[in-house]
Amino acid sequence: METMKDEDGTILKFLDTMDNYLILFDSLSSTLRQGWLDLASARHSMGSSRISTALLNLKEHSASTVVRVNDETINETSGMEPHFTLRKWRTCEDKTNPIEEEEDVQGLLKQPSLNLRHRGFSETKEASNEPLVSVDDQVQKERSKALSVFGALVSPKLRSAQISFETVLETLIDIANARSVMLSTFEQLQQMKEQSN
Amino acid sequence: MANKPAIRTGNSELIALIADEDTVTGFLMAGVGNADLRRKTNYLIVDSKTSVKTIEETFKEFTSKEDVAIVLISQYVANMIRFYVDSYKKPIPAILEIPSKDHPYDPAQDSILSRVKGMFSSESVASGRH
Repeated sequence: METMKDEDGTILKFLDTMDNYLILFDSLSSTLRQGWLDLASARHSMGSSRISTALLNLKEHSASTVVRVNDETINETSGMEPHFTLRKWRTCEDKTNPIEEEEDVQGLLKQPSLNLRHRGFSETKEASNEPLVSVDDQVQKERSKALSVFGALVSPKLRSAQISFETVLETLIDIANARSVMLSTFEQLQQMKEQSN
Repeated sequence: MANKPAIRTGNSELIALIADEDTVTGFLMAGVGNADLRRKTNYLIVDSKTSVKTIEETFKEFTSKEDVAIVLISQYVANMIRFYVDSYKKPIPAILEIPSKDHPYDPAQDSILSRVKGMFSSESVASGRH
């Protein structure tokens, strides 16, 4: 009876994950379409020669948006299940890892005031605080740097396209995690099937 | 568990791309582009002049690199090297087939869904119960 309950639970988890995987792909397709549309609009307003892969920087540089992989042991039968976390613009902006997010909040709370944009601050107070760059400022700086290859002044549509593709990346990380869970539960079900035969 | 491949963990890893120009441009704007000292990049722009052999070699290169966590490949490009994509079984890097402008995503061609579709065959787990 217990075995059947485990089996049912695993089957449900597998079907649920597969459903989630397909829904995420729908969302991905929609966001990608928006990104391509914005890119086409930007190309139309700025000119094809200004938005071209010929302008891409081939000098040595590191990616600003990377992925962190953590393994989670599920059980002895399925083994490890990789979990992906997106780190956009080399900050701890990722929302998928609550542990990192909590660490970020704790780190921010220990710092003096973060209201750098608050014009009401007195000079003495500003002088006593160490210069801090808010996460938003850093992200905006990185975003502008990424677009600078297309020129100093870029179309708002190009910025919209950039945001769309950032959203696409977030969805892709969700898809990668769903894929990981789906394959893990599939393996569990295969093993259950072999044991029952 | 004894034969499970080790999973690289903790380090920041790259997203590699094998896709058309607009898709690659978009992702590069989102900050995923990387170039090493030898000017080798983590992306391949596929156009009408790109040979299947180049795509195969790039796929093999990206899937064997230690610092790549995810490989994004347009589904229509994956179809050109379907044998290699379907033969790939490692958990890392994860291979994700994505739609392109002219070729919408088709779940029936997705490598992962093809792999697990056996769950719904006549020899599924449920059929073993009495």
